[in-house]
Amino acid sequence: MTVVPPRATTSDQDLLTKLETSSRRRRRKRGAGPVIVDIVLVIFGVLMLSPLVWLIVQSLTVPEFAFASPPSWLPVPFTLENFVEVFDYMPFLQQFGNSLILAVISTAGSLAFSVLAAYAFARIDFRGSRLLLVAMLSALMVPAQLVIIPIFIMMRQLGLVDTLASLWLPALINVFQIFFLTQYFKTIPRELDEAARIDGAGHFWILFRMLIPLSAPAIAALAILGFEASWNGYFGPLIFLSSPENMTLPLGLVTLQNGFGAAPAVVVFAAITMVVVPLLVVFLAFQRQIVESVASTGLKG
Amino acid sequence: MSSETVAVRRPGALLRRRRTEAAGWLFVSPAVLLFLVFVAGPFVFAIALAFLKWDLLTPAEFVGLENFAKLFSDPLLPRVLINTFVFALASIVTHLVFGLLLALAVNQVISRAIGYFARVAIFFPFLISWAAVALLWKYVLDPTFGYVAQYAAMIGIDLPNFFADPAWALPAIIFIDLWHTLGFTFIIMLAGLQTVPSELIEAARTDGATSWQIFWNVTLPLMSPTMFFATIITFIGAFQIFDPIQIITKGGPQDSTTTIIMYLYEKGFQAFDMGYAAAVALLVFVIIMGVTVLQFVGRRKWVHES
Repeated sequence: MTVVPPRATTSDQDLLTKLETSSRRRRRKRGAGPVIVDIVLVIFGVLMLSPLVWLIVQSLTVPEFAFASPPSWLPVPFTLENFVEVFDYMPFLQQFGNSLILAVISTAGSLAFSVLAAYAFARIDFRGSRLLLVAMLSALMVPAQLVIIPIFIMMRQLGLVDTLASLWLPALINVFQIFFLTQYFKTIPRELDEAARIDGAGHFWILFRMLIPLSAPAIAALAILGFEASWNGYFGPLIFLSSPENMTLPLGLVTLQNGFGAAPAVVVFAAITMVVVPLLVVFLAFQRQIVESVASTGLKG
Repeated sequence: MSSETVAVRRPGALLRRRRTEAAGWLFVSPAVLLFLVFVAGPFVFAIALAFLKWDLLTPAEFVGLENFAKLFSDPLLPRVLINTFVFALASIVTHLVFGLLLALAVNQVISRAIGYFARVAIFFPFLISWAAVALLWKYVLDPTFGYVAQYAAMIGIDLPNFFADPAWALPAIIFIDLWHTLGFTFIIMLAGLQTVPSELIEAARTDGATSWQIFWNVTLPLMSPTMFFATIITFIGAFQIFDPIQIITKGGPQDSTTTIIMYLYEKGFQAFDMGYAAAVALLVFVIIMGVTVLQFVGRRKWVHES
């Protein structure tokens, strides 16, 4: 958990749209301009992506020819055998499913509770609300590693160690989400509530039919980042999960190359490719939403 | 809240007041319950734990300040703190410098296709899990299998075995972290740049200011809130660095990459010295809280608010 100042942006234009319009404007004014910036960016981009290209190429190469020197950037001789072998070394699909279940329950659950709490904090003047919000906010300073020690002991007592529940139960409360949504709800004019109330609307109607639809971009941003954080999480799974069939993908990948019966490097690479390539596809499809969610919340995974 | 006196005169208002109170608590109650069980409770428990000696197998034993005494007299602690602060400082400097430069570059790129390509290439690694990134880079920087050493050898440079060399292991982790999380800083900087009004820059240009003068006197001061935010968030993230270290070096060689969370993990979850680990975690908490307070104080001083 980290401390984040309020950055709730409700601008009508998102970051990428602004970027594109501003660069169009400049193009009109300055014509060709300095090409050097473009060249530097291409080189930098290629260098950034080179480890990923190398990863995919090695995973598609026959093991005896992978990791050859000088480095090869084409998969020759080509094979898909490494990908088939991944399933001999790790329960990939099972772990994929575990990661998915964990991410969906954590994200949907925490958002549901956060939305309800944020509504109360932003719209209902109940006694003690301010104190309660401050108490919750101060928890943003508490590092996750501090509370995970007692939670580990608690989960051991409950016999929940080595189950997904030990990970999604503590994830149901997300103080940052509550804070962010409270701020966001406050930017929506309260007159709208009063108008709805005169028409006979109750709390649930106002929240579910009005505030939530109006806050869709903020909720989507929190959902994307919550999912990403859970999907990629390592510290929690490392501490709580021990049997391969209960592991999430990140922990499964690391276990793949550890200890006895460790998989050959090409198989590890194939497994990493099977994690990275679908992610790239999702990213390219939802680039706008993902970039925007990071820019608007300033949340680091 | 101010309607107490009015309520006495009008019973209907009192009823409404009560109903509002009930509704408020009803809406927050699930979150409050979870907060008590998974945040506030464990927080109090962790503080108590720091005064106990408990391996989870034998009964817990009250030892007073012994855990703290042991922590501050551990000859490894200075090393651990130095590693952590060196990592955090290097992380802040590299992320801010590269993030800002790249954001400025992408902001004035001519070809839209290149702008798109650069954004994807810089940002995408941030979305990959540390597990995948760390495993990949372990091979990329490997002295025999990795293409970095292979190319270096072709031009006659003999690179060190990064992760086996106490002098190079931490810099290598810093480098990997830059590759992995630069995209985050870059996007924050890019968003910050959009808040600098282009009219101001055009005005400065018409007044004859050079690009360098515009950068130092217009762009940078207006970017200071963003820079400040990026500094704090990078520090807090970097201070808690753990995943790549646990995956690649396990703190070695010769403790050259043992950071504070790696130390906490070893004590708590490998040696199962829960009380001691709680003491370490409290130290992390105090340092992070100190930086957060500094953030509130420093903001007024360093940040240009328009």
